[in-house]
Amino acid sequence: MLEIKNLHVSVGGKEILKGLNLSIAAGQVHAIMGPNGSGKSTLSYVLAGRAGYDVNQGSITYNGEDLAALPPEARAAKGVFLAMQYPVEIPGVTTMMFLKSALNAQRRSRGESELDAIGVLKTVRRKAAALNVSEDMLKRALNVGFSGGEKKRLEILQMSLFEPKLAILDETDSGLDIDALKLVAEGVNALRDPSRAMLVITHYQRLLDYIVPDRIHVLAGGRIVAEGGKELALELEAKGYDQIVKDAA
Amino acid sequence: MKTASALALTPARWEQAASHFRSAGVPTRRVEDWKYSDLAKALGDTALSEATASWKLGKLPAGVEMFDLAEANAPDWVKTHLGSLKETTLSAASLAFADGGVALRVTGAVETPLTLEFSGKGNLRALIVLEKNAALTLVENLSGSEQRNVGVEIILGANAQLHHVRLAPAAAGAIQIEEVAMTVARDAVYTAHYASFGGKLSRLELDIALEGANAQAHLSGVSVLHGDSHADITTRLSHAVGNTQSTQLFKKVAGGKSRAVYQGKVTVTQGANGSDSRQTAKALLLGNQAEADLKPELEIFADDVKCAHGAAVGDLDADSLFYLRARGIPESDARDLLIHAFLEDAMAGIARDDLRDQVRTAVNEALAS
Repeated sequence: MLEIKNLHVSVGGKEILKGLNLSIAAGQVHAIMGPNGSGKSTLSYVLAGRAGYDVNQGSITYNGEDLAALPPEARAAKGVFLAMQYPVEIPGVTTMMFLKSALNAQRRSRGESELDAIGVLKTVRRKAAALNVSEDMLKRALNVGFSGGEKKRLEILQMSLFEPKLAILDETDSGLDIDALKLVAEGVNALRDPSRAMLVITHYQRLLDYIVPDRIHVLAGGRIVAEGGKELALELEAKGYDQIVKDAA
Repeated sequence: MKTASALALTPARWEQAASHFRSAGVPTRRVEDWKYSDLAKALGDTALSEATASWKLGKLPAGVEMFDLAEANAPDWVKTHLGSLKETTLSAASLAFADGGVALRVTGAVETPLTLEFSGKGNLRALIVLEKNAALTLVENLSGSEQRNVGVEIILGANAQLHHVRLAPAAAGAIQIEEVAMTVARDAVYTAHYASFGGKLSRLELDIALEGANAQAHLSGVSVLHGDSHADITTRLSHAVGNTQSTQLFKKVAGGKSRAVYQGKVTVTQGANGSDSRQTAKALLLGNQAEADLKPELEIFADDVKCAHGAAVGDLDADSLFYLRARGIPESDARDLLIHAFLEDAMAGIARDDLRDQVRTAVNEALAS
């Protein structure tokens, strides 16, 4: 589903990703682990299409299409979803109105009929209950005054609502206590599907206890330096990034 | 040159106003309060008109008394209050030159909103008196004109409540000035929303004195400007006694070569302890040549007060824009959504749903044009 080849990306003229290769098939969950500054967030932003992340070399192919050529909204409509590390607060736009606008914009872009307000409301309510997203949160301005856990739950609610083909979770565990982490992980696991690929980006092994990946890649210095099964996470936890990076060199 | 007035003024009072304006003249940019709005330049070779503009009042609800200032035999409340509040050079001009206007006196709690429209060229006066415990919702509409200077005096008695919504539609080429002076007595509340869409030079100037304990003034406003239009809101708010509250929230969206101005000066006088004042002005610039001048000011002579002020000028937030686009919302829709959201919180304070919708509609139309 996703094929990244020799990807070089620079931000503000500085090269961050330096020849990254990664391939994920439908139905698989891959994890990217890496120390701070290794390029994890750059990878997530370049996949979602954020401005200012320039692809200098290499390719990102998504279902046979050149993903890097598409604007962020087109990627979203084609099923790419990034659960962000820092979801933004937007005063003046209610969460419910945002969800409806986004869902219908994606549907429009795919040539599907728009859902009416009641249809969206019913679907959102059903999915929100499972993630413990309250009615009050849906009525409030988007992410404004939400706790860290509430913001992350809302990201997963969006993932559940938009039903993406490729879901990228950028440090979804950061700032969560263990109960919030479990709730988010359950939400993510419920969305595991043979037709869906997931890329879980994290600094810590902890999240991978709950979202067990099929494959783990270690990102350091803008490149994948080690790969392995889920046991690699435990090895990382025991040895630390420095040793793994050294072993790989 | 005009030598007397049709208004209910003593000859001495009229003479005073006329000579105030004639000696000071049209304010230039050298006058601090007019630094960002060049009235002399906007007027060009034209002098400030000495004509009298027009007004139109909606159906008068029970509890509101009206006097046409062009008529003789003014009642005592008009004689007492007309020309009694603080005067600026331009409100001196409207007092001296206007031969008409409207005076309203509210004695009870009036539910139905009252509409007041100003139109035509020249000077005009309005006097609005809310007696003790009176309440009114006033909807002020302006219609286009090449040059108008309106002087308004508002007197709020103890525990009175005035909700004021002012809609100033875009008036290309027009110079529209309104100078408001107001006193707010104890427990009285003034709540206002000013929606302005600019003109050649559009300016609303307010001088509000909170004169009794627990007097409150809550001002909000939105401005959407295109082309080379100019809209200025200048406020002077004085906490003359302690335990008084004021809030101000102004949001402006400026495109093209337009210019949005907000100057707000809050003064807390000596001994006015327990005063609470908040002041925020923000502008979004949508064109490289658009300009916003936001100048909140605080002057505090009391010890125990809560005062906050802030101003920010900028472009749409890049993080927010990316977030919305990454969720599938096309860029132009995402921009629209963020612009509406930016203005929305300044409109949220309009108490009546119907009036809030009216302002929203005007804003939506201005944004779409």
